[in-house]
Amino acid sequence: MELILIAIVIVLLLVILYPKIGSLAARKSMNASNERIYVEDALKHIYDCEYKNINGTVQSIAGNLNISYDRAAKLAERLESLGMIITGDVLRLTAEGRSYALRVIRVHRLWERYLADETSIPEKEWHLNAELKEHDISAIEAEALSVQLGNPVYDPHGDPIPTVNGELPEKNWKPLSSLQSGDVARIVHIEDEPNTVYAQLVAEGLYPGMHVKVIETSSERIKFEANGEEVIIAPLFAGNISIAPLAEFETIPEKYKTLLELKRGQEAEVIGLSKACRGTQRRRLMDLGVVPGSKISNEFISTWGDPIAYKICGATIGLRRKQAKQIFIKPGKTESAKA
Amino acid sequence: MNDKKNTNEILKLADELRWEIGNDFHDALAESIHADAAQIAAVAVSYDDKKPQFDMDRTIDRIVTSPWLGFPIMFLLLAGVFWVTIEGSNIPSGYLASILVDTVHPALKAFADSINTPFWLSGVLIDGAYLAMAWVIAVMLPPMAIFFPIFSLLEDFGYLPRVAFNMDNLYRRVGAHGKQALTMSMGFGCNAAGVVAARIIDSPRERLIAIITNNFSLCNGRWPTQILIATIFIGATAPAHLAGIVSAGAVVGVAVLGIFSSLVVSWFLSRTVLKGEASAFSLELPPYRPPRILQTLYTSLIDRTLFVLWRAIVFAFPAGIVIWLVANIHIGGAAVAEIFIDWTNPFGILIGLNGVILLAYIIAIPANEIVIPTVLMLTVLVSSISGVGGGSGVMFELDSIEATSSILHAGGWTLLTGICLMLFSLLHNPCSTTIYTIYKETGSVKWTLISTFLPIAMGLVVCFTVAQLWYLLA
Amino acid sequence: MNDKGCETCPVYKPGNLIRHGINMTDFDFVIALAGNPNTGKSTVFNNLTGLRQHTGNWPGKTVSRAEGAFSFNEKKFKIVDLPGTYSLLSTSQDEEIARDFILFGRPDVTVVVVDATRLERNLNLVLQVLEITEKAVLCVNLIDEAERNKITIDDRSLSRELGIPVVLAAARQKKGMPELLNYIHAVASGNYKCKPHRISSETRELKSAVEKLSTRILKQLPHLPNARWVALRLLDGDQRMIDAVRNGELEELFKPDDGNQNLMSVPNI
Ligand SMILES: Nc1nc2c(ncn2[C@@H]2O[C@H](COP(=O)(O)OP(=O)(O)OP(=O)(O)O)[C@@H](O)[C@H]2O)c(=O)[nH]1
Ligand SMILES: [Mg+2]
Repeated sequence: MELILIAIVIVLLLVILYPKIGSLAARKSMNASNERIYVEDALKHIYDCEYKNINGTVQSIAGNLNISYDRAAKLAERLESLGMIITGDVLRLTAEGRSYALRVIRVHRLWERYLADETSIPEKEWHLNAELKEHDISAIEAEALSVQLGNPVYDPHGDPIPTVNGELPEKNWKPLSSLQSGDVARIVHIEDEPNTVYAQLVAEGLYPGMHVKVIETSSERIKFEANGEEVIIAPLFAGNISIAPLAEFETIPEKYKTLLELKRGQEAEVIGLSKACRGTQRRRLMDLGVVPGSKISNEFISTWGDPIAYKICGATIGLRRKQAKQIFIKPGKTESAKA
Repeated sequence: MNDKKNTNEILKLADELRWEIGNDFHDALAESIHADAAQIAAVAVSYDDKKPQFDMDRTIDRIVTSPWLGFPIMFLLLAGVFWVTIEGSNIPSGYLASILVDTVHPALKAFADSINTPFWLSGVLIDGAYLAMAWVIAVMLPPMAIFFPIFSLLEDFGYLPRVAFNMDNLYRRVGAHGKQALTMSMGFGCNAAGVVAARIIDSPRERLIAIITNNFSLCNGRWPTQILIATIFIGATAPAHLAGIVSAGAVVGVAVLGIFSSLVVSWFLSRTVLKGEASAFSLELPPYRPPRILQTLYTSLIDRTLFVLWRAIVFAFPAGIVIWLVANIHIGGAAVAEIFIDWTNPFGILIGLNGVILLAYIIAIPANEIVIPTVLMLTVLVSSISGVGGGSGVMFELDSIEATSSILHAGGWTLLTGICLMLFSLLHNPCSTTIYTIYKETGSVKWTLISTFLPIAMGLVVCFTVAQLWYLLA
Repeated sequence: MNDKGCETCPVYKPGNLIRHGINMTDFDFVIALAGNPNTGKSTVFNNLTGLRQHTGNWPGKTVSRAEGAFSFNEKKFKIVDLPGTYSLLSTSQDEEIARDFILFGRPDVTVVVVDATRLERNLNLVLQVLEITEKAVLCVNLIDEAERNKITIDDRSLSRELGIPVVLAAARQKKGMPELLNYIHAVASGNYKCKPHRISSETRELKSAVEKLSTRILKQLPHLPNARWVALRLLDGDQRMIDAVRNGELEELFKPDDGNQNLMSVPNI
């Protein structure tokens, strides 16, 4: 009897738990008619337009949300009746509408930060995943998440995360297309919409925090160096990349070798950590002494080839290959004595 | 009021500054601290440049992590530890039993009779509680007194982190953390300790996986069962001079199966409820340090062994009372225990066990240590072998493994029962202390329930499959 | 600086140190034992208290704090063994206990136990501790291993650079314990005035932010001895610190005239 009861409990548990599992996609399509998502997405869109100083219109809502013009017009009406926007040729947010939009944006960016820092979900999927989550997380959950992540102020694309009170900083970015050849800068943001452009930029290996040096510009293309590798993109695409001027103490790195390339018994000097190494892992590596200038050597390799033990600051530390690939080094002398 | 405004202003200023500095704050800070540290170290530390020709640590490391020797060394060490434990605890166990059970128990009974203690009182206290405790001491003290010191020596030497280092590749593939190997090693001592040790894992997701799967490392409460059953049923199939090695091999097999289960469950969890890829792994491998043998022996004997033993005794006391009661309270002519056993027996047979074992596991939820005594006592009760044991509800120790073996065989046990009992002992719910610890560490009823029921479900499935295959082939 | 004379004593001067085990009533001072994982904190703890806190040769052996007591020179000390931590700046859970205790537990003396063979990395934590408290003693442990690896540590210049007493020790061989006790006593009773090193190589951006914020904090809480640290933690978005500022815990903790009264606000684990 007991055992039957136990079996029933197990089955029940599975049934209760399963719906929470990765069925986000299903939920989105299930709720396609869900008004709330449209309302929130429209508000976000109008906010975005205001932030970028472009005109948010019924037409642009229709385009952005991928709905018919009529549907968009109805949506705008509804938003006005809710006191969220003021309609006209250009749609404007009311104070209430703006704070609502900022709340949604906060959740979106927090979630992207979470995905970047605490999961290994690929970069390309962050945005879509967050698009679903933003309508899904309660205010309390969002605050708990923020605390867990150490109250981040920027999302992984370099966008500021609004505070709980809906504050945002002044922005001082320029598009990459505005740079002249020879200029150096740091990517602070890569626009994640439209997705096709974003996917291509990601495929080029670009990410916020990367240092770039423009080699040449013309009306057809911009050629620049990013982490030592040459990248060529169309100016239109370059417009989707925002940059901030480089502070003087930051230097443009040469083409990097990674720690993974270091053979057993070789020694090197750390140049830095890839920006793709984030959150707790980044902090932990720095705590362990992986900072620019420190010496590092490959000591021995585990039975199955991964992880590898490195000597860092006198201590032997096992790191996975994936992490070793995110540590940039300048090879030094090869150790002669073999044990 | 004014204070509130002031503090809010501070926090607001902090927010503004954070935006100004950007995301690189932590990097910049860490780098500046390192710069200071390096400066100071440059002044205060000097190295002798002549590096020694022979680096002992690295040589050992390159051997224990080498592609060919890494895993064989690991298994040999594990098997060696078990073999020494099995071989070494046989004789003292029998000795303790003959004192506590064969000598002291009758003496206590005689004393109770001489002062006219009512039969139920002496039954509950002496035949129930005392015998349960005596049995726990006899069965657990010798193996623990051998196992813990050896394990501590390995721990002090610095071998454990190397195990984690070698195993990480497997854990990474199932989406877990290599340090889970460390928490599992701690679990070999005690699952509750293993669950607490999971704090060393940074990622909350991977930490939860480590907590849920810790129960798959055989704890000290369970491997006396493993050792005894392996000796009776599996060691017996081999020639006498190999019996010890074969039994140790069987126990290692079950332990490895436990590691395998933990990998499978981790994999399952990180594909479903705890979705995610493996995060980062960084593990400091300390230098090898020659263990201080005497001190280690002393501490692990006094602290660990006696501590765990004490816990077992505390749990055995009430359990002994319960056993005596279920064997002596009659409903409609049959003892409660008998009714339950008859009723669950068909189901037990289905999964290769029997009603006795199922009842024993229910009584032993607070502490796994008392499974075997309960099983023996109940077996006698049901198969009513005359001439052994002290009557219904009396747990007894049999002076020799052969006697135990003959009881179990008389009770209808086969090699299959032995194998399934070993499997079920590996795959069933954690003990009450561990469940409570899991609750304290996770703060979640949901995860506590999952950690509790998942292993039982697996145990039932595995035993059922093995039993059915056995019936098919035999 | 170092009282070398005592290194010849086989064990402690008898009669001077009395170990109380877990009997922790009526103590005069609270001592915290902090340090990187696996540097021998628990070994030092056991030496001083006579307890047998588990030690083991792998990082992360101690995961919750342990307390014990001893008397030295007629003063009674309560000593707290903390889990090892690489840094006080991270958000990871295993480091939370140590992080919170060093600041909010307000120990009278923080003993930082460091590994002599990895001194440079260990100094990171020391520098962070010195931002929080000025009453600290550095115990450079595992000096026997350093010797074997031909590493020499100059305790005098280390002490000069850091502004706190430095003891070279080998806890397992009970070496350096008498000096450690002397210094703990001297710092706790105020006979030794520490002049702790403060982090100085920050970038300009960082420095100005920290200055701005800590000035603002000091305006509100003029008695705060570690406003810079509070500023750093706020800039890092540490929720524990934000809460402590918001609900007045910080102010309460560092009231101007609380003598050596200890507010143990860290929950028992
Ligand atoms: N050779 C040598 N070994 C030492 C010394 N002090 C401690 N050890 C050893 O170093 C190892 C770690 O000691 P613990 O006291 O457990 O270290 P801990 O700092 O408490 O470690 P965590 O609790 O993991 O942070 C043990 O194996 C000790 O025996 C020393 O002075 N010399
Ligand atoms: Mg410790």
